[in-house]
This record gives sequence, structure tokens and C-alpha cells, in this order.
Amino acid sequence: MKQKKILFALLAAALISSLALGGCAKKAKVVTLKVMNYQQADQAGYKEDVKIWEDFQKANPDIKLDMEVLFNDPYHEKLQAYAAAGTLPDVFYVWPGSRSAVIHEKKLAKDLGVILGTEYLKDFSAAATNPANQLGMYMAMLPQAYTYTSVMYVNKKLLADNGFEVPKTYAELKAMVPKLKAKGIAAVMLPNKDGWPMQSCLFSTVAGRVAGDAFLRDVKAGKAKFTDKPFVDSLAVIESLYKDGIIAREDNQVGYGEAAGIFASGKAAIYVDGDWRAAAYITDKSSGKALIDPKAQESDFVLAPFVSIPGEQNPGVVSAVAGCGWSINGALKAGSPEEQAAVRLVKYLYSPEVQAIRFATGQYVPTRKGVKADVEPLVAKVPAFYAENDKTCYVVDGVFDPAVYNVLNSGLIAIGLGTKKPAAVAAEIQKAFDAWKAAAK
Amino acid sequence: MSSARQIHGEEGRAYWAMVLPAFLVYLLVIGFPIVLSVVLSVSDYSGGKMFGGESWGFAGFGQYARIASDPFFWNALKNNLYIVLVSVFGQLPLGFVFAYLVYRKLVARPGFWQGILYLPNIISIIVVGLLWQTIFSPRGPIGAVMNAAYRREFQDALAALFASRGGFAPTEEIARGILELAGPAGRALFSDPVAELRELLLSYPAGGMPEVLDGLANLFARKWSPEFLTRPDVAMLPVLFVILWMYTGMYLILFLANMQKIDPQVIESARIDGARDGQVMRYIVLPALSGTIVNSAILAISGSLSSFALIYSMTGGGPSRVTEILSIYMYNNAFLGRPNFPLANAISLVIVAISLGLIAATKAVEKRLGGKEE
Amino acid sequence: MAEGIPTGAAGRAAQAIAKAAAYALMSLFALMTVYPILWLVMNSFKTTREFQVNQLGWPAAPTLANYAEAWSYGEFGKLFPNSLLYTFGATAGIVLLSALAGFAFAKLGSRATRPIYGSFVIGILLTVNTLMIPLFIEVNLLGIYNTRLAVLVVYVGQGLPMGVYLMTEYIRGIPTALVESARIDGAGFGRIFRSVILPMVLPVATTIAILNISGIWNEFALINILVSKTELKSLPLGIYKFSGSLSSDYGKQFAALTIGMAPMLLFYLAFHKQITQGVSAGAVKG
Repeated sequence: MKQKKILFALLAAALISSLALGGCAKKAKVVTLKVMNYQQADQAGYKEDVKIWEDFQKANPDIKLDMEVLFNDPYHEKLQAYAAAGTLPDVFYVWPGSRSAVIHEKKLAKDLGVILGTEYLKDFSAAATNPANQLGMYMAMLPQAYTYTSVMYVNKKLLADNGFEVPKTYAELKAMVPKLKAKGIAAVMLPNKDGWPMQSCLFSTVAGRVAGDAFLRDVKAGKAKFTDKPFVDSLAVIESLYKDGIIAREDNQVGYGEAAGIFASGKAAIYVDGDWRAAAYITDKSSGKALIDPKAQESDFVLAPFVSIPGEQNPGVVSAVAGCGWSINGALKAGSPEEQAAVRLVKYLYSPEVQAIRFATGQYVPTRKGVKADVEPLVAKVPAFYAENDKTCYVVDGVFDPAVYNVLNSGLIAIGLGTKKPAAVAAEIQKAFDAWKAAAK
Repeated sequence: MSSARQIHGEEGRAYWAMVLPAFLVYLLVIGFPIVLSVVLSVSDYSGGKMFGGESWGFAGFGQYARIASDPFFWNALKNNLYIVLVSVFGQLPLGFVFAYLVYRKLVARPGFWQGILYLPNIISIIVVGLLWQTIFSPRGPIGAVMNAAYRREFQDALAALFASRGGFAPTEEIARGILELAGPAGRALFSDPVAELRELLLSYPAGGMPEVLDGLANLFARKWSPEFLTRPDVAMLPVLFVILWMYTGMYLILFLANMQKIDPQVIESARIDGARDGQVMRYIVLPALSGTIVNSAILAISGSLSSFALIYSMTGGGPSRVTEILSIYMYNNAFLGRPNFPLANAISLVIVAISLGLIAATKAVEKRLGGKEE
Repeated sequence: MAEGIPTGAAGRAAQAIAKAAAYALMSLFALMTVYPILWLVMNSFKTTREFQVNQLGWPAAPTLANYAEAWSYGEFGKLFPNSLLYTFGATAGIVLLSALAGFAFAKLGSRATRPIYGSFVIGILLTVNTLMIPLFIEVNLLGIYNTRLAVLVVYVGQGLPMGVYLMTEYIRGIPTALVESARIDGAGFGRIFRSVILPMVLPVATTIAILNISGIWNEFALINILVSKTELKSLPLGIYKFSGSLSSDYGKQFAALTIGMAPMLLFYLAFHKQITQGVSAGAVKG
């Protein structure tokens, strides 16, 4: 009996010491991961994001995170510089489209389709795991979100007070204008001083319905032209929105940041923006105040697709684009400790727990399936909106080069101000496209 | 100057000891990038590892041709030249006059004015941009004042209309009259204007005259919007004014510093001889500062052509790209989406070439007018 | 000169009008300056929610929360000393190296002057965007990426073209006889630089310093490329963490901007007398 006890003690000691030794050995080769994080200090969820990284660091003492935090243009400039010097970090944040063109086209990131594997990826939406949604036609990153860029935020109560329902057709929308306007309420608010909102949040949907994705692909391939009828008709829809007073011409001079407050104060019945704008209305943690009270978010507001347009080919489609996500440096040696550490970090970042935090702070609706979080009503309506509107179309600035869509953006402003006709704008865009194509060769 | 002679011994060693530190730092920070910039502008480099990665090479002068054929480039260049003009012929003379007023203590509290006029240089450009957008928004303070005036004007016209038809009633005749006042934009709000407007008028309670006037003004009165900002010929004016305000103070300081070098006795004796302040300025101070003025002009030209942040945060080059300048043109075309390094470098070298041309012109003007110095 | 004197009252009236116009314009400029500063400070005490509905009025319920959060999120405590070092270190470097080179270019004849001096002038004209990638590659090759040295060297290099140009032109205006008589007295070039040139270039040195200080204080594009560690960054990089285009928290952004502007403002208010004095001190000897 005694012997057995001693034996047991010895065994235990051996086990503990070997564990300790093993631990030491593990500690001796801590892997340092260079990470570039895209983080905005004044965004909802900043504190939570900091904690996400701290938690990982605590739970993984064998990995040391060497993190650089940047935001907006400085982030992109730095990433280009790293790419040019060949010193990309191990894990970094990437855009699906041309903003991160270098990463995709030069294949500077590992194929996550291979690294993470189909078993892991089956928990993500089909749109997120479709390589065709990324510029390099392979999974350089895994989109955390699939963003709808065109949503009508409708103040249902304001409409009801004036005897209207949520509009479904262009005619219904137009019919509301006189009565609302007489009360000093704009029918639809779309701030377009910055040029991109009209293109990204409304025109892309209109073009998707009237002309269709196939048409835009044909244009890119040189088989169709912007001056063809479908595209000019799409521009004409925008022209009539302003002519019919649905959107005020002076909104072309309203800055993007102003509109959220204007809509919240009841000066507009409908606000057209991307799905991300729902986050602007959630309660501010530091002051405990919200632009729209959560109770009112629930009862008075709905999210709806843009109304049906006369002559549309693809009814109900809404423009959407893959969101950003994480990449692993393609230069990491396969099977190396660094690569394993990077994979562990990336899997952590896409874990249900982390994605739930992102969802709860209103940053985006995760592409990971089944992520649940306690969110404010307006944000909760976003995934429901996705489910009801599953047919999507391109966002124009995701398809064409800035040399082309810059001309479209300014052309849409000119149409809005009534200074240019759709046909003239279409001709300008085609000219810019031809010039770009000639230079790209 | 005896600049071109051969030097030996101690003087030579001293020369290089003094020039080399600056020159080496210069080569490192400016020299190498310039050379690389020239190389890249005619290359097909498209991102990725620059040395030792995917190979890239000479691709010709296509980027320059592309720039030259782009009307937006010429528009941006034109706007840049406006900025140069405002800088050289606005900031410099104003800065000079202000400096003179402060220097000769011709204004009360010269120290205060010197301080406050320089202060814009310290204000963050982001703030200037944000404030600018807020004030000129159609829903900002100017809009509020102007819209109130337009409403009053429209309601006066309505009152006159009602008076001429013997008072307000939701009749077809009145509706026609209102639509006449509303103009085509107002009529476009309806599918069947007369009938729909009558229906709307009937929905107001009887005797609710103020509500009717309010409603009609909401519907039809003009709305102020900073439309002048969208007109290519005037959009630059406010931007230019802000530039004038921001940087005049810098030249004030530059000129003031150099005015202090003038022997006060020269000015005193001129004053005793009966010269007015205007004459002292023209005949004593101005010639004494001719060198400084040329230097300031060069400073102004180079600063104007490479400026970016102020206009970017004010207008972003918009609306519809009418206020784009070369650096914003470069940003929009070469960095905003897929980075295009050859194009970016070509544009920036064009900017350098234009600046060099303007500076050479300034020097030529100095040579013709100069001679008072030395 | 005599025939240019207008007679009595007419001249006086013209001068009075000119003065009134000057006052009007200066007051307008002053208003344009004070208002944005006031607006910024005022809004830094509003919550973002309040700012979104009230952009121009006084804060209804002033809060200090923006400052507390901006300070900690932006890690300004770490950035502030760096900003001081970079701004004043680089400015001192620019002034000293420009003065040395300017003296050599202006007073020591050499065939090398024309090409070297000419190349400096071209440097005045480069835009920052084109410098970034080449600089990053260079800094990596030299192994000084993520060092304060790299930031200082790049800032000095950035300021040199203008500094050298202004110095050279200024020193050319100093009588060569002064240098020659010191030579005859047996002074070396180093001593001449220290005891003859340096005291005389004070006005232009002040000018160069003024031109560079606020520029370097607000610079962010280059330093962003040169360092990645927070401990090495400067204030503008902290402020830039707050200026987003989507769902911005204006309250914190304004607080961050105020934090960034305040030191320069205080510096200028405290020292603008000394700046003027520095300028006139040079004048006495010149």
C-alpha cells in the first residue's frame, strides 16, 4: 500500500516536472506574430476590440503579438509600403476589391480556402466563401461581413401619421411627396456632397435592377457600352427622383455625416444609406443616449429595399459587396510555427465569440452563421433584411476603376443638380472607361 | 559672386565639411526618391516587392500621355494656377502691408494683430474643413437665414394672390394661381397638378390660413443651396479666400522679420524730411525687401502647387471635381482605389516641372526689375 | 521722391481710408480665426449625439468625457514627448545644417556650388506622396526602421531644401568684407561661422524655425511610414485615430483635435514676444 503510494507520488512528480519542463520548453520558443490591425478609436466597439486582442494575448502566452494599429488612408499607405519593401506583417486586414489590389493580384496572402479548409468554412455564408467575390479570384481573406450598400431606413410612424404606408413602388413614393413636403418633411434623404453615396447606396441598386450585373460585365469586357440604353435608363431613374421632388436637389450639398441626425430628428421620412448606418443609431455607452431611442427603433422604424422601378429587369435585387477580413502573409513557410500561430489567431478572430462582439457593437452582421448577440432593435433588423432580400447585385465602385467611377460619381451629382442629362453623363463615363482601358494595356 | 573658382586647402576642406552633412541628408531623403520617382513614372511597376520581387521594367511615356489627354488634369492645373495667383498676388502684398503696419506701429496693438494673423497656421486643417462644411450646408446657418427670407417672399406673393382673388378658397382658380407662382419645379411634384393641389388645400381645416401659408411655403418656396459652389467658374472663389486667410500671416512674419533689418535711422530721417508712411513703404521698405519678396514668391509657388490637405478637407475636390487640384487629382486617380505608382509619379513630376517653370519665371522677373539690391 | 508727395488733406484722407480698409480686413481674418477655435473647443464638450443635432450652438450639457476617453484611446501621454522631440530636434537640425551649407554656398567659392545648390532648390517642390514608398524601402535597407533617428533624419531632409535656399540667399546679402577681415585676423572658417555668421543669421533662422515648427508638429504622412511602435509615434497619428468618415464619434474627435492644437497655441501665445525679439536681436547687429 505504502509502496503504491510512493510510486504514485513519484509518478505524479515526474508528470508534473515533465509538464513543467515541457512548459519551459514551450516558453523558450515563443512565436512573435507581426499584426496590422485596422482600428478606429472613435468607433463604437473600440474598447471591445482592444479587449479582443488582450484576451487572445492572455490565452496564448506562447504567441507574442507585435501589433501596429492604423486607420483609414494611413493604413493603406503603410500596407502598400510593406508590400513594396517585401516586409508584410504576418496577419493583416484586407479589402476584397481594388483598395487592396496588390495583395490579391500579386498573391501576397495565403489561400484561406486551403489553410482553413472546407470543414471550417462551412460555417460561413456562401457569399463570404465565394472566391469570385475577391479581386484575385482566390480566398486571399475571409470576408467578415457581406454588406448591403443600399437600404431604405423608413420612419414608419412618420409616414403613418400622414396617412401613408411603407412605399413599395415608385408611384407610391412619388405620391407622398406633396403632402410630406407641405409639412416640411423630405420624402427621401440621400446626402451626396461626398459623391459616393448616390452611386454606392442607390444607383448601384437601380443599375442592378434596370441593367443587371451581366450588362456591367459586358461593359467591362468591351461587349457593351455605358451609352447603351440600359445604363442610360438607370441614370434617368436618378434624374426623375430629383425632378419629382422625391430627393431634394440641395441634398447634393449635404455632407454624409449630417444626414443621420437629420433623419433621426424627423425631417425626412426615408433615409437611403448602407446597412452599416444602423450602428449610428445605437446607444452611446459613454452618455447613455441614442439618436433614436431603442424602443422607437423597434416600433417606429423598418428597413426596406428600394421601391420597384418601372421597367426593371431584375426586380428586388439590392447592391451588396463582400466586406473586409483577415489575411495571412503568403511568405510564411508552410507548416512553420509562425504559420500555425497565424492560423490560430485568425481562427480566434473568426470565432463565434469574437464575431458576436462585433455584431453586438453594431460593426457588421457576421458572415459566420448562427452568431447570436444582444443587439439593439435597428441592428437586429439588418440580418432580417438580408434574409428577405437574398438577391444581390454589384456595387459599381466594386467593379470599375476609380478613373471610371469617379466620373460616374460626379456625373450623378450633375444629374442631381439638373445641370447634365443622363446621355451626356453616360458618354463621359464611356470616354473615361476607354481612356482607362487604353492606359491599362 | 566668385562662386565658380577652384578652391584649395583649408577653404576646400571647410567647404565640404559644411556642405556635406546637409547634402548627404538631402540625398538620402530627397535625392533618392526623386530618382526613383523618375524611374517609376516610365515603368510598369504595379505594387508588390519593388526590389527582388516580380520583375518590372520600362513601359514608355504612356502615363504622361494619359495625363495630357485628361480634361480633369487641365482643370486641376487651372485651379492650381489660381492658387498660385492668389498666393503671389494676394498673400504676398497683403502680408507685406500687414507687416508694414505692425512694423511701423501704424495700428493699435500691433503685437495682437501680428499674433492673431499668424494663428490660422496653427489651426488644424481638419477643423477648418469640418466647419466649412457645416456652415455652407443647405441645412446650416446661412441656409436657415436665406430660407426664412425666401419663405417670406413667397408668402407675400401668396397673400397678394389671395387678395386679388377676393380671399383664399380651395378653388381651381386659386390652385392655378398658386401653381403659377410655384413654377415648373413645383408643378413637377404632381402628376395632375391642379386637382392634386386642390385636394391638398381641402385637407386643411377651414380658417387654417397660417397652416395653409406654411404648407405652401414648404412646398414651393425656393430653398437656398450653395449652388455657387457647384459652378466651375466660381467654385474656387471661397476656397481661394480661405487660402488667403490661412497663409497671409506666414508672410507677415517673414516680411516683418526682414523689416527689422532696416536701419531705423533711415526711416526716421525720411519722416523728418516729410515723407508719408505710404512713401516710406514704397521707397524705402519695399526696395530693401525685394530679395525677401522673391524668396517668398518661390515659397508661395511651391507651396501652392503641392498643397493638398486644406482643399481636400474642405471640398474633397468636389462638387463634381470642380475644385480638384493636382495633388487631389493624383490622390483620386492613383491612390484612392487600386494604387497606380507610375501614374502617381508622373503626375508629381509634372507638378515639379511646372513649379520649376514658374520659379524660373519669377527669377527672370527679379532680374529685370532687380538691381536695387546690392 | 519729392514729386510723389500728395498735398496735405488728400494724402491724409487716402491714408485714413487705407487704414480703415486694413482694419476691416484684419478684423475679418481675426474673426475667421477665432471662430473655428471657439467652435472646436465648444463642440469638444458635446456628446456626439448632441453634435449631430446641434452643430452650432453652445453645449446643452457640457461633458468632459470626450477628453478623458480621447486622451486614453489616443495614448497622447506617450505621443506628446515624441512630438516635442521631433519638432524641436528636427527644426534645430534644419537650421544648423542650412546655416552651415548656406555659409559655404554663399561665401566659400566652389565649382560644386552650382549643381549642389541647384539640386536643393528642386527639392522644395516635391510632394510627400511620392517620397513615401522610396523612403520606406531606404529606411529598411539602412536598418533604421522604427527608430527616432529615422524620423529626425527624414524631417531634417524634408526641411533642408527651403532652409538651405533661404539661408544662402540671406548670407549672400552679408558683406563679404566681414568674412575677409576675419580671415585676415587669422580666424578659421569654423570660428567665422560661429562668431560672425551665426549671430547675423538669427532673423532668417527664426523664419526657418517658424516655417518648420507648425509643419512638423502636424505632419503625419511620413512618420506613419517610418515607425510602427506607439512609443515612437507623434500626436498627429494619435489624432488621426479619431477622424473617420463613417459613424464618427465627433465628440472624441474634437477633443483629440483640441489636445493636438493646444500645445502649439500655448507655445505661440507664450513665446511670440521672444520670437519677435529674436528677430530684432539679429537686426541690431545687421
